[in-house]
Amino acid sequence: MRDNAKGGALTEVTFYILLSLYTPKHGYAVMQFIEEKTGGRLSLGAGTLYGALNSLQDKGWIASYGDDTSRKKEYLITSQGKEIAQKEFVRLKELLCVASGIVGGTA
Amino acid sequence: MRKKCYRFFGAFLTAHSNWLNKMSEKGYRLIRIGKLLYEFEPCTPGQYLYQVEFVADKSKDNAEDYVHFLEDIGYRVFFKNINLNYSIGKIRWRPWAEQGGKISTNKSTFNHELLIVEKTSDGKPFELHTTYEDKAEYCRQLQKPWLFLFLAAAIMGIIMRTWIWGIISVASLIVLIMYQIEHTRLRKLSKEKEW
Repeated sequence: MRDNAKGGALTEVTFYILLSLYTPKHGYAVMQFIEEKTGGRLSLGAGTLYGALNSLQDKGWIASYGDDTSRKKEYLITSQGKEIAQKEFVRLKELLCVASGIVGGTA
Repeated sequence: MRKKCYRFFGAFLTAHSNWLNKMSEKGYRLIRIGKLLYEFEPCTPGQYLYQVEFVADKSKDNAEDYVHFLEDIGYRVFFKNINLNYSIGKIRWRPWAEQGGKISTNKSTFNHELLIVEKTSDGKPFELHTTYEDKAEYCRQLQKPWLFLFLAAAIMGIIMRTWIWGIISVASLIVLIMYQIEHTRLRKLSKEKEW
């Protein structure tokens, strides 16, 4: 699975990492955030998270936060990353709106 | 009572981590390592989980950055050698490594090919790579040195016309193919699901 930045569809891992970084967090806090929000359904391995954080940093969607003197390295979403997340949010809302009219439910 | 064991696992990464996990189940926690030495101290059985990770494809800076990341998460990390080499002042050419890691010396990444990563058990399984795309990528990194070894051994075999290089090249070709099968399987899975 890959992110499709043009069409808007992000992988769940990418979207959750972006969401977690609206406030600055270090690696372990990102892991905990995702596990908590998904009720343990999605649990990221440290190696996978490391690779994902680096590739999001290369894309400019997130950046390291704070000075290098602090012991633990923290990350924060960039304005470009927020734009991407916003677009995905709108796309999902539209999808949800269509689906709730057809599949039903009280969403 | 501290316990000392002497083992060599070479490129058998799964056997390596399985053994460390078995020691932990018996109540021994790894505290020190040498080239062949593993020193343990008593712990609550099953308190610690281990993974062995291949990092020889990384440059010195990137390997250290990765170790810091793992330590920040709360894991304990040991650097480990994959080969047995006791001579001083070694230089290795790693055409399969990333930029900055292609020349390996005993000042940089030589004898630092593996990481032993220790996690305090929280009842859940311990995996470093969880998405299929990342698993496939890691599998590719494990495969690359075998391609190099196969080509080098095949060329040596042809030039020197000795059967020993022939055996090495056939053996590395078998490993290469095994990794290729695994990589293809993971790639296929990664197209169907994320993890």
